[in-house]
This record gives sequence, C-alpha cells and structure tokens, in this order.
Amino acid sequence: MTAYVVRRLLMLVPVFLAVSVVIFLIIHLIPGDPVDNLIKIGSGPEQRAAIVARYGLDRSLPEQYLIWLAGLVRGDLGTAIVAQRPVSTLIAQALPHSLALGGLSLLVSAGVGIVLGAVAMRYRDGPIDQAIMGGVLLGSTLPTFWLGLLMILLFSVVLGWFPVSGARTWSSLVLPVLTIGLAGTALVVRVTRIAMIEAAQKDFVLLLHAKGLPPSRIRLRHVLRHALTPVVTILALRIGWILGGAVTVEVVFARPGLGTLLIKALNQHDYPVVQACLLMLAMAVMLGTLVGDILQAAIDPRVRANLK
Amino acid sequence: MRKLLAKAALAAGICFAGLCAAVPAVFAQEATIVFNTNEVGAPTYNPIKASMLNAATGLIYDMLVEQDADLSFHPHLAESWEEAPDGMSWVFHLKKGVTFHNGEPFNAQTIPAWLELFKESDNAYMSEAIDKVEVVDDYTVKFAMKHPDPNLLYNLSSTFMAIPEPKAYKALGDKFGVTEAIGTGPYKLETFNVGSETVLVRNDAYTWGSPLSKNTGPAKIQKLTFREIPEESTAFLELKTGGVDMLLGVPTDFMGELKSEPNIALLTLPGSEVAYMSINVTSAPFTDIKVREAAAFAINQQEILDSIYGGVGSVANTFLISALPESQVDPKYLVKYDPERSKTLLDEAGWKMADDGIRAKDGTPLKVSLWTQSDTSFRRLSEVVQAQLKAVGIDAEITSFDSSSIRDQYKSGKQQLAVRSYEWNNADIVDWFFGGDRLGYPNTSMFNDPKAEELRKKAMSGSANSEQRQANFKTYHEYVLSQFPMAPIYQPTVNVAYNKDRLVLPEHIRGTEVGPATFMDMTVKE
Repeated sequence: MTAYVVRRLLMLVPVFLAVSVVIFLIIHLIPGDPVDNLIKIGSGPEQRAAIVARYGLDRSLPEQYLIWLAGLVRGDLGTAIVAQRPVSTLIAQALPHSLALGGLSLLVSAGVGIVLGAVAMRYRDGPIDQAIMGGVLLGSTLPTFWLGLLMILLFSVVLGWFPVSGARTWSSLVLPVLTIGLAGTALVVRVTRIAMIEAAQKDFVLLLHAKGLPPSRIRLRHVLRHALTPVVTILALRIGWILGGAVTVEVVFARPGLGTLLIKALNQHDYPVVQACLLMLAMAVMLGTLVGDILQAAIDPRVRANLK
Repeated sequence: MRKLLAKAALAAGICFAGLCAAVPAVFAQEATIVFNTNEVGAPTYNPIKASMLNAATGLIYDMLVEQDADLSFHPHLAESWEEAPDGMSWVFHLKKGVTFHNGEPFNAQTIPAWLELFKESDNAYMSEAIDKVEVVDDYTVKFAMKHPDPNLLYNLSSTFMAIPEPKAYKALGDKFGVTEAIGTGPYKLETFNVGSETVLVRNDAYTWGSPLSKNTGPAKIQKLTFREIPEESTAFLELKTGGVDMLLGVPTDFMGELKSEPNIALLTLPGSEVAYMSINVTSAPFTDIKVREAAAFAINQQEILDSIYGGVGSVANTFLISALPESQVDPKYLVKYDPERSKTLLDEAGWKMADDGIRAKDGTPLKVSLWTQSDTSFRRLSEVVQAQLKAVGIDAEITSFDSSSIRDQYKSGKQQLAVRSYEWNNADIVDWFFGGDRLGYPNTSMFNDPKAEELRKKAMSGSANSEQRQANFKTYHEYVLSQFPMAPIYQPTVNVAYNKDRLVLPEHIRGTEVGPATFMDMTVKE
C-alpha cells in the first residue's frame, strides 16, 4: 500500500510539469499586458520600460518559464505585478475561504446525493424516482451563478433567512454551499442509484434475502455499502471541479477566495497570480484523483489484492 | 446514514446560531458602504506604491490640497500656498496641531521625508517636477522646482499623494497599507481583508477637516465598514434588503429599479467619464479628413442619451468633461450631430450613395470596422452608433474584444473606428490619448500631427502657471477637435444610492466624488 502511494505520488511529478507548462503558456499567449494596468495617465515611456524590466517581462518566454519554475520549486510563487504583493500571501488569504466553501459543498453533494440516490433506487421507475432524477438533472443544468442569484432572491430577499453576500458569519456560507452542492448532486445521485441497482442483483443479496433479513436492512447495510465504491471515486474526482465551480459563485456572493482572486487577476493580466490560482485548481484535481484511487484501494480489498 | 443526518442537523444548528450572532447592534453609529465595482480588489492602502486605490483611502489619509466638485482647489493640510510668478517655486503653509494616528506630529519635517519615499515608486512622476524641498520653519515648506508644473496642485489633491506617516512607513515596509495604515485622516484602519472588506474606526482626535465639509471635528459615524462586492446585482439586493446602507457606484441600468424602492435615495453626480468613438487617421478611408468629419457628425449624441441612458448624464461635444475649463472651446469646434453636414462631406469626398443604402467610391463600398469591448454596455452603445453611421451611408461592422486584449489589438494599429471611454478629470488626458509617441494604445486614433505635437509640447511643459496651462491646453484641445481623430458621445454620471431611513447626507455633495467631505458630515438616523 505505501509503495503504491509513493508510486502514485511520483507519477504526479511529470503531470505537474506538463500542467505548469500549459498554464504558463495559456496566460502568456493570450493577448493583453499587465503593464497596461500599472501605468497611469501622465507617466512616460521610460516608466513603462522600467516596470517591464523589473518583472522580467522583456525576457523570452522559455526564460520566464524557467525563472517561474525555479521559484516554484523553492516554494516561491513570485510577486504579483499589479497587486504588488507576494502571491503566496494573496493565496494564503484566499485559500481557507475556498476550502471551507468547497469542503462543505462536497459534504452537501455527498449527503444529499447518496440519500436521494438510495431513495430513488428504493422506488425504482416509480413516480418518486422520476421526480428525484428529473429534479437533480434540472438543478445541475442551471448555471451556478444564476442559481446563486435565485437562491439570494428566495432565501434572502423574500424570506430574509440568510445574508445576501459576504463572508462575515457562518450563515453567509449557507447559500453558496447549497448553490455549489446542489449543482454537483445530480452525478452522485445517478451513480449511487445505478451502483445500488447493480449491487442488488448480486448473488450475496439473494442469499441475504433467503436468510430472511428485512429488505430495508439489506439495502442500507449491504447494498449501499457495496455501491459506495464508485460513489467515493466520483466524489474524489469532484474535489477539483468543486473548487473550479466555486469561481463564479464566489463572485456572485462577494466572497473572498481563489475564484474572486483569479477573476480579478485575469482581468488585469496579473500573470503570477493567475498562474498560481490555476496551479492550485489543477493541483486540487490531481490530488483529488489521487485521493480517490487511494480511498478505493483502502475500502475495496479486491483493488488492494491487485496491487501486490 | 444516521451519522449523515446528525451532521446535517448539526450544520443547521451552527447556521442558526450564526444567524442569531449576525444580527448587528443597529443603534451604534455605524454604516456599511459598498465600493464601486471598479474599486474591488484594490490590494493595499499604501498610497505611495499602489496602482489602484479605493474610496476608503481618502478617509485614512489627508492630502495637502483638496479639489471640489467644480475642480477648484481648497486648503487642507496646507492652509495656504504661494506660487512664484515664474512657477519655479511654491511655498506651502501647513496646518498646526495635526497628528498622525500613531501620535507622531505632522509638520514641515514630514514633507521632505514623505517626498523622499515617493521617489522610489511607480507614482514618482507625480512629484518629478519638484527639485528640492526646503524646510523654512516648523510649518512652512518651500518647493524648488526643476521646471514649472501648473499641475502640481492637481497632483497634490490626488489620493496617490495622500500623506502617510514616514517613520511607520519605513518600519512596516511591505506591510504598510496592508496590516496597518497610518495617516492623519478622520478614520483609522482597523481591519483590511483584500477583496472582502475594510473596517474603519473614527479618529477621535481629528479636528482638522477640510473646508469642504461643515464638520471639521471628529466624524459623526463611529465605524464604517466598506465592502467589496464584484457583482452589481448582489450589491443591489444587499441595499434592498438592508444588508448595506450605501452603494458608491450604481449602473444606470439599475436606476429605474432603485427609484421604485421607497427607502432608497439616489444621487447623481457629474462624473469624470467620457464615452467616445476613436477614428484611426491612418486607415483608409479615414485618411481623408472629410470622411472623419462626416463620421463624427453622424453621431446623434442626444438620441443616445435619451434612448440608451434614459436621459441620465449629459451629451459630450468635446473630448473633455464639461467641468474642465479647457472644455469651453470656441463653438465652431464642438462636435454636434448634423446629418446634412455629414452627407454633404461624404458627397464631396466622392462617396456617392448607392441603391443598398451604403455609399461607394469607384465601386468600393464604404465598409469599415467598429471595435468595442465585449461588456454589454459597450456593445449596446456600439450597436446604436452602428445604426447612426448606417443612416448617413457608412456600413460599420462591430467586432468585440475583452477589455484586456483589446489594448493589444489597438497596438496593431489595424482598428478603424472604436467605441471606448476614459475616466479622468484633467485636460492632460488629451496628451495621453493623442500624443504622437503613444501610437496604438493609448493613442488608438494613431494621431500624429506636427502642429498638434507642437501645441502639445507647449501645453504639457511650456506653461508657467495654471492660467497659461489652461489657455495652452484649450488651444491644443481645439486643434485636436478640428482634425477629427474622434467623435465625442456621452458623459455618464456617477450614481450613488443609499438607504434614506438609515443615513443622512449633507445637502450639497462637495469634492470630486462622495468622499471624505461627505463622510465627515454624514450621520446615521437613531
């Protein structure tokens, strides 16, 4: 098992390098220039040249990439060009907010998704099943920023239960968490339902029925347990997507976080900040996949057996 | 399963507890204000190094000089000043009894120490004309100038030249303006979370307010919370539900919606923005001045004001905002809708009307490109401009880019017409957008005219005092207008909305925006 984890971690290194090249190229090749956001009306061309030289923007792209990568290896994310602060401080301020939002949303999609999936399986092909499947499909196809605004209208403006926006209290987390959580529920519901239907057709379930166990107990204790393996994988894969999906929701709810930081930096073409944010999101996807694989190995003895 | 339910119940409990805790003590004198969306994400309150500062900066620091709504200058930390007739020296008499938030005195010694810090920053050009600072006595300083700078008072009134405490500035290094910000202003920085909120508390020792506010003593509201909300709909809903008390920037689109709210008051202040259409003078057919003039006179400013902006704001007939004296040009230079003039000019230039409604010359139709930013407001304006050009027989095709990449596109010089806007309240903006050494961007018109360059040089560095500068800039502005490198369109207002059940604002808003002068006089209804 340890050898497996180490091997998987080592495999992340080339992926990380490839991702870093792609991120670097995307932001440097799209048109736009951070220096345009820095120079103010009235300053001269010398000013501009000085700024360009200070941030090394006059060097060739491969050179700039190597400088950035060398910094990354030392744990130095560079200094934001427009924001004029160390990128690591900006990220450190944003990350806890994003993690809280992402983590809670993941819990919501997992909780709601598994419950609804199990219920849908119980009443398979009946009206309840169809209502659940239709409902979650609708929820996941609505764009999150719009769903967010609808949530604000209903829960804050009409009902007045939660604050409209901000990040001052725990209550302000509820609406954004629900928005992201609900959007991700559909997949979990579907996978839970299908996996449970498949597991219910296994021989051991027939045996349990023959032994005379109550059907509800068989479903929850045995079938659901088996069905959770693919659900865990799906959830782990979603870690990265949830952080990415939080970008627009953070803007709608005016929450600080990686998303608001990224959008602001993109508009200003603040290269180091955009690179660091995208790298964080890419790492979340990579680590999510890794965690998913390890979890699967941990809960499924068959996978473990194959590793040896 | 049961565990999950328990967790959900726990989460709900936490949320409810949070909700109860969130109900604020409404009776304390506090107010929550939302920054304009273009100020969201300002990373620091360090006026010396920042490339962007928000509205709270002017409350933490004071400037030597204040500028009023009519753009006149008024004393603040400088009680009075004298300019030498040749513009080569300035004497400033400083206000006595002023202290910084950390107790350090503000006096003549502060000024050279502060300007010294300024030299290392990207904003150094603002004080570049000052050669030496001489401390005459404890409350008098004399600036010896390298060359006359009639724009000095304007620069000194900018928040970038707000005065931080030099000792704390040095001691805190990069943290200054982030964890702590020490100025002489009516409010002290309590907490600052970038991209989220800034909390300011009243400076009780403050007795040196500028003459722009009635109240010169400590401010009336004890605590101000400034929030950053990037999404305008969210900010609007916060104001509507009472989550915040004031929005410093409301898009014109929301005005109708806000007017129907009984507890919300709206203020429209003259802004410093001008929307215009730049015309590339190096791209055929606009190399012909007649075609440029025709395009400029095809724009119906009044129709745009009435139909797109519901009459809020005013038309633009010159390149500068109406508040600037340099915008008062000879009426013959005003660019005002005149379709007949436009049609005659096109006929003279050889572009004859064809059957399809598009003019043509030697078989080539009058087809041009019209660039703009992809934001909805720019697109909508561009579509109306497109229709108005069509009415005189010019076929303009709209291409839109995102706000950052359009600048790179301009640098290619391939643009023909472009709908854009700027925000600035000084005549030197003419130099910025039409100077021959900035072709592409910011000079999107690619305007490089020997006579204009001569007038520009005279306006930028050939004036000893502000009257001369004004006259020189007016002449330069008039000449630029006569060459039609652009067509002015519209001057938007700055719209501020506040909850009138909570806040009382002074009757007249003084200063160039809802800023320190207004916050000094503002009170919360008990």
